[in-house]
Amino acid sequence: MKLIETKHLIAWAAFLLVLALMPMFVSNGTLRIFIFANFLAVFAISWDVLSGRTGYISFGHPFLIGIGVYATAIMSKRFGVPVEYSIPLAVLVTMLGSVLVFLPALRVKGSYFALVTLAFMELAYQLVQVIRPDLTGGTRGIFGIKTITRGAENGYYMSMCLMFGIAFVSWLVMRTQLGTALSALGMQEESVEGSGKSTTKLKLAAFLMSAFIAGLGGAFYAHYVGAIAPRTLFDINFLFTIIVAVLIGGSGTIIGPIIGAFFLTFLLEFLRPYLPGAGRYFIYGGIALLLYMYQPKGIYSIVDKLIKRWRGGAV
Amino acid sequence: MKPVLQVKNLVKRFGALTATNDISFDLHEGESLALIGPNGAGKTTIFSQIMGELRQSEGSIHLYDEEISHLKPAARIKRQVSRTYQVPRPFAELTVLENIRIGHMPNSIWSMLTQQPDLDYERELANKVGLAEADHQRTPAELSMGDLRKLEMARTMATDPKVMLLDEVFAGLTTAEVAQISDLILQMRADGMTFLVVSHDLPALKPLVDTAIAINQGQEIARGSFNQVLADPAVLSSYLGEV
Repeated sequence: MKLIETKHLIAWAAFLLVLALMPMFVSNGTLRIFIFANFLAVFAISWDVLSGRTGYISFGHPFLIGIGVYATAIMSKRFGVPVEYSIPLAVLVTMLGSVLVFLPALRVKGSYFALVTLAFMELAYQLVQVIRPDLTGGTRGIFGIKTITRGAENGYYMSMCLMFGIAFVSWLVMRTQLGTALSALGMQEESVEGSGKSTTKLKLAAFLMSAFIAGLGGAFYAHYVGAIAPRTLFDINFLFTIIVAVLIGGSGTIIGPIIGAFFLTFLLEFLRPYLPGAGRYFIYGGIALLLYMYQPKGIYSIVDKLIKRWRGGAV
Repeated sequence: MKPVLQVKNLVKRFGALTATNDISFDLHEGESLALIGPNGAGKTTIFSQIMGELRQSEGSIHLYDEEISHLKPAARIKRQVSRTYQVPRPFAELTVLENIRIGHMPNSIWSMLTQQPDLDYERELANKVGLAEADHQRTPAELSMGDLRKLEMARTMATDPKVMLLDEVFAGLTTAEVAQISDLILQMRADGMTFLVVSHDLPALKPLVDTAIAINQGQEIARGSFNQVLADPAVLSSYLGEV
């Protein structure tokens, strides 16, 4: 048994091909929806690498994404740092910021950890408004951030490459022994320690990986939309959209958060003409609830079972 | 010959309750020592203190002359002492081979990323404890209690210990499985492994150990050869319920 089999690589190549050919078949309006789906998939993968694997449920993920967004926005807009430097630096700053979130994970678990991380998000929301508003833009945020693409097609390819690259590399990492150890950590932390592995090191690795993805996604997002505001970033709805995308798609996998992000983004857009405003969220809340009650492992698990059943029938 | 493991005057208090009261023993290389006593005697608490899962209130633990009392469990396992648990704690969604991998994989994050798992070693270990080839890709939910114990043994062996602490290693096993695990322990003893064993299955334990210590309510009540300890009046009255 090989850890990376040819069939896996063929599946990834087919996925890339479908994504690359997408602009030939859909309108610019639909491409714009895909762009947001791609970014949501990146944030969902980032959350899943930490919480889906290790079981440390983070309610503070917008805090990490926000660090990436604000760091690159401040560097490029206020100090004229070129984007090719501001983005990697923003990722680095996000990884440093993740150490702050990591510290409570050394002492608290479960709902206590989730609440501590939620406090980080609220703290960030309050602080960016009062500390150096000349840099952060205060309550109004920052406008006129340099954008790196123009037009729906370019934006799509940029976000698609980012999402695909992150998904593929994360998948490769999760196929290694580190991926197995992180999954084990989420199942039985005591047994991982009882097997002689440092759970502190493993948790730190998960936090840093998650922060890397969140920072990278956040920084690119800032340079795609060109404007940021604290209330849209450090927001409970944004947090729940990320978490629900993972849960609907299937946590503990790489493809699950992507499926969930696409499903959720398109569902909300599909419902927009019929249920404008917050009413749409009742529908997606209902779907998430039903899925969680009857198939807690998400859409990925349903598709996986159907494929296995079909293969079983075909043999 | 210097002892491999030395437990000196171990005391563990939980509030007003003294779970381990002044327990001391030495374990030499290749030796096998049984800890026996009724439920709640403090046997597992001693294991937990040796492994660093519980910090002792008083006393010290030495491994190869080095005091390990202050070390975390992972650091103790690195020094080649490892344990199994009374209730197996497998990784529910990992396969048998992946469960074993957790014990065998390196501790460094970089090595975890760059080194391929040693599938041959994992298979060899699974076969050695008696897990059939067909079980290798199964998850723990698909295994019997006997197979779960074997998996627990295999994961512990994968950490490359020189001293193994076996906690109720025969609980829930069929006669055939007890014989299989006993053979494995005897084979490992012949290869030089040092054992500290807790079990209520005294007939199964007898051929595996050189000496025994009986404890009750955290205190040592008898020590000597297995037969001597079982014949001790204090043991008979406290452990076996005879007068």
